[in-house]
Amino acid sequence: MEQFITHKVMLVLALIAVIAPFLAFLTYALGGKRQKSGVVSTVAIAISLLLSLFLAISAWNRELLHVRYDWFTIGTNTVTVGILVNNLSLVMLVLVPLVALPVHIYSFSYMKGDTGLRRYWMYLSLFCFAMLGLVVADSLFLLYMCWELVGFASYLLIGFWYERDAAIKANKKAFLINRLGDLGFLIGLAILFSEFGTWDLAQLFGHDGLIAKEGGADASYLTWAGLAFFLAAMAKSAQFPLHIWLPDAMEGPTAVSSLIHAATMVAAGVFLLARVSPLFNDTVLMTIATVGSITAFVAASIALTQRDIKRVLAFSTISQLGFMMVAIGIGQIGTAIFHLVTHAFFKCLLFLCAGAVIHEIQHQKEKHKLQIDPQDIGLMGGLRKTMPSTFVLSLIGAAALAGLPLTAGYLSKDALLIFAFEWANYQAGFWVFIPLLLMIASGMTAFYIARWLFKIFYGQNRLSLSIGKAIHYHEAPVLMRWPMVLLAGCCLFFVFSYNPLVFEDTWLLNGLERTDLLQRVNIYHTVIPAAINSVSIVLIFLAWRWYAKGKYPLKGSGMLYDWSYHQYGLNRLYEKGVVKPLLFVSGALYRFDVKIIDGLVLLVANLVELSGRLAAWVDRYVLDGAVNGVGNLAQGIGMLLRNGRKGKVQRYLLGMLIVFLLMIIYANFI
Amino acid sequence: MLTLLVFIPLIAAALVLFIPQSLSNAYKYIALVASLVQLVLAIYVYVSFDGALAGVADPASYQFVEKLPWIRMDLGSLGKLEADYFLGIDGFSMPFLLLTSLVMAVAVLSSWRLEKQLKGFFALLLLLNTSVMGVFTALDFLLFYVFYELMLLPLYFLIGIWGGVRREYAAIKFFLYTLFGSVFMLLVMVGLYFSVTDPDTGAHTFNMLHMMNPDNYGRDSLFSMASSSDLWGVSARLIAFVVLFIAFAIKLPIVPLHTWLPDAHVEAPTPISIVLAGILLKVGGYGFFRVCYSIFPDMVSQCAWYLGFIGVVSIIYGALNALAQEDLKKLVAYSSVSHMGFVLLGAASASPEGISGAMFQMISHGLLSVALFFLVGMLYDRVHDRMIYSFRGLASIMPQFTVMVAITFFASLGLPGFSAFIAEAFSIIGAFNSENLNGFIPHWMAVAGTLGILLGAAYLLWTLQRMFFGRTRLRGGLAWEQALTEPSKRELLAFWPLLLLSLWLGICPSLVFDKLNASVLSLVNLINNYN
Repeated sequence: MEQFITHKVMLVLALIAVIAPFLAFLTYALGGKRQKSGVVSTVAIAISLLLSLFLAISAWNRELLHVRYDWFTIGTNTVTVGILVNNLSLVMLVLVPLVALPVHIYSFSYMKGDTGLRRYWMYLSLFCFAMLGLVVADSLFLLYMCWELVGFASYLLIGFWYERDAAIKANKKAFLINRLGDLGFLIGLAILFSEFGTWDLAQLFGHDGLIAKEGGADASYLTWAGLAFFLAAMAKSAQFPLHIWLPDAMEGPTAVSSLIHAATMVAAGVFLLARVSPLFNDTVLMTIATVGSITAFVAASIALTQRDIKRVLAFSTISQLGFMMVAIGIGQIGTAIFHLVTHAFFKCLLFLCAGAVIHEIQHQKEKHKLQIDPQDIGLMGGLRKTMPSTFVLSLIGAAALAGLPLTAGYLSKDALLIFAFEWANYQAGFWVFIPLLLMIASGMTAFYIARWLFKIFYGQNRLSLSIGKAIHYHEAPVLMRWPMVLLAGCCLFFVFSYNPLVFEDTWLLNGLERTDLLQRVNIYHTVIPAAINSVSIVLIFLAWRWYAKGKYPLKGSGMLYDWSYHQYGLNRLYEKGVVKPLLFVSGALYRFDVKIIDGLVLLVANLVELSGRLAAWVDRYVLDGAVNGVGNLAQGIGMLLRNGRKGKVQRYLLGMLIVFLLMIIYANFI
Repeated sequence: MLTLLVFIPLIAAALVLFIPQSLSNAYKYIALVASLVQLVLAIYVYVSFDGALAGVADPASYQFVEKLPWIRMDLGSLGKLEADYFLGIDGFSMPFLLLTSLVMAVAVLSSWRLEKQLKGFFALLLLLNTSVMGVFTALDFLLFYVFYELMLLPLYFLIGIWGGVRREYAAIKFFLYTLFGSVFMLLVMVGLYFSVTDPDTGAHTFNMLHMMNPDNYGRDSLFSMASSSDLWGVSARLIAFVVLFIAFAIKLPIVPLHTWLPDAHVEAPTPISIVLAGILLKVGGYGFFRVCYSIFPDMVSQCAWYLGFIGVVSIIYGALNALAQEDLKKLVAYSSVSHMGFVLLGAASASPEGISGAMFQMISHGLLSVALFFLVGMLYDRVHDRMIYSFRGLASIMPQFTVMVAITFFASLGLPGFSAFIAEAFSIIGAFNSENLNGFIPHWMAVAGTLGILLGAAYLLWTLQRMFFGRTRLRGGLAWEQALTEPSKRELLAFWPLLLLSLWLGICPSLVFDKLNASVLSLVNLINNYN
């Protein structure tokens, strides 16, 4: 096959895969108001998927495809653009359209009847383009551009329903926090540029690249660069304490949440770190692992109490991203990407299921003219009888999230946890808190997703009960169901490995870089999965008793509950600690500007005016009588000054003019 | 060629003056045609400009040079006075010719609906055009100064007569501020004149290129590099640099010499705001490079830290002030202060990336701030209000206008693909590079400068949220809803070229850099020689 498919052809194919959604975007952007159908977008993303699958099959584990062209020269440095495709980018190149295609198809049904459909498809295609560009970009500068475009597309999609206040506040928040991360990215770029003079990924991070050759000599700038890129990743991948934008981003359409805020965009941070991983030294890695583990724990603990069907999933996403960050931090890039992939499938699936439920309840709400929040899981219940397919699909997604055997989630999560323990073993000492936090988070994951599932699908139909009227739900339409089935298929183990229980046979993991630094501790490979799964099953059972059987023993309040429900009070903290002071400072500065700076200017002008009066006074009383004409002139000026209209400006001008003349005289006599 | 470029508007102004009032409709067409002809000429200049020739301090590599003796006066014992009509361009001035002619065309288009004293307005606008073009092309300091002062006159009247309620106050303030700067510039110019002699004739000269060559300074002259004379215990060259810097910095503007800008913008009519933001601020930045940096390259290393610091302060201070504004036009004015801070920061770094970034930022800001003021003007034209809280949910009644605003906002907050992204990124990267390259400004200034990018997003997005999204609610109620119509064809015609050009430059920055690189490198070398 290699004979027929040259390097060049493959690169062209990769380029087409990236450009196709952009062309779709242009079609909607320039096509006028009539262009409303999503066919163009869907076809484009299907083309991307086919091409990238083909590429993956022909180039996996074989060769690195790289081509670059000069873009522009600034000073003596030339900035290049190009495409770099290796196994890492192939994984993402397939993943993005593979998740996006079902979401596109799902959207046909989910978004039907919305007035802004043209915008919807336009934004969605723009996002896909930016995301695909991000994964094949060969230089950090190009990657940065796509990175910002991704954030921009996300801004547009979160605020898709722009008449809703919550939506437009959420998208502003998302963009600003991402912007904060962008600053980190930019500073990282600046550091690399001033040290190496290039942003080319292959030149910097290749096996015999600049970092490998020259790095380590002066470690402090590497630390700063690493931390700067991590800041970027923290914002994009919603790491504590910058995660607060992601739950709010759920104001966007659910299909969007599933694609962007669960599967792809938020994973961009993890991808970036994987791309630049040779840059990291121990300090940076430890920071990443610590932040990741805290995020995993905090977000899981918040997810325990959320009542909004999407918010539970949002916090779950944050928590899982924390897991991936830990994998990066312990040097297991491959594992991080593997978990990224499995998570993309099951989380996208869960969101689409949630969307199906919301869609149906919204429908009932409109039909019966109810005043309810269609996303409140407190009002759901018993849906498994009326929406059996959605239920089964949710079950698969939830099992994969909880990491139960036979699912893909089991493989990736076990790999991650086992490596984390081996790493802690290697580091020794108190670093064991990282795998322990992950353990606890993993237990909480099983519990919250079981709670979510049981509250929605088990028990009684609480909506019917609360309004005292029978409500009959219907199964999701076929255009929404089949995309979910496809994703559910990808959540199972056989997609990744023939062996359902041992992660080490996973083809994806073996195709990516892994560190062999860690010593294999055999006992971990049996004890950890067994322990985690037993704990999970006990917790799931507990959730079943509490939520499915309705034997809930707690009162649903108390300090810990509130703490978790209000997300540790972080939003209030930011509001009071950052936003308010900032606005106060900006207001104060403006008053300073008007009163002090401008005041000083006026003072100077007044002084000049005073000297003008003085001159006039001298004229009148000292020189008066000597030359009558001069005196009269001075009087004239005095009159003018006194009678000047309410603005004193004429007087300033005059004064200024006198000073000016004096200066010219002075200048001419030196 | 350059003479044509400079004087076409003057001819048009004369034409406007001679056409009787009864044909007052013709004025705007004359002005438009003049600007368009000028635009075509500028494009020709751009295309035939050779980017490999550096210019800066090397007279031989200037292009489109025109040199005629202008003043030759024998002053007896004082020697001979020599001033030339000397025009020429290099990479630093060429982009501004194109920008000026484009912005002027937009300014004419945006004064289409004006009704008050058309004759005077267009004549003054054209006169302004001439003087700005003159500033960008003059290579003789006296000529430069004449054009520089000539800019003030039309602007003073344009703001003072056609402006808003407090127009006289704003006009005077603007006038005094700038005059303050140029008075001192005059002193330095005279000093330079007495220090520099023309190597060919031996006469004192105003030729700026001669001033850039240390060999032309008289041995014991005030500004001679060799003798390093002192004034009040401070090096005379340092004082001259600082004085010139302040003169141009008022134009740029910098904090704390910026307070004329918000007032001038708020009171000025839309076309004048456009000219002010689009071109006149750039005269300040151009002056840094052409005069301060090129004539006093040895002073850059001493002052760079302070320049960078002022730049960072301007970036952050301007952005924070913008955040506090409730008047949309004032917000845009303060955002200009912030954006021009990047110019100063990039310039202070004296690195190739920083200076290129600064130049690019000026061009980019020239396009985008014009677009912003134009959009504000469109809103003001319709309902005579531009307070942010008077509007809400405009997206529902003016979708097309909202799209235009949103794109412009994102372009100016640095979305990749638009020119501001490249400009800000390279200003910051160049500033960061400085510590390793020449040690002029420390890393933290670049890092602090990035905060401006964040704050820029904050005030623009907040405005977008407050004015355009949410449910529609207008202070003027139904009457406003009818008055707020979608943009007309003329407005679209004036607006889209700006944005598309910004997009084009963002995607192909080499359109500028290819013409600029040689000059930038030459300037950097000039500065490094003394470092």
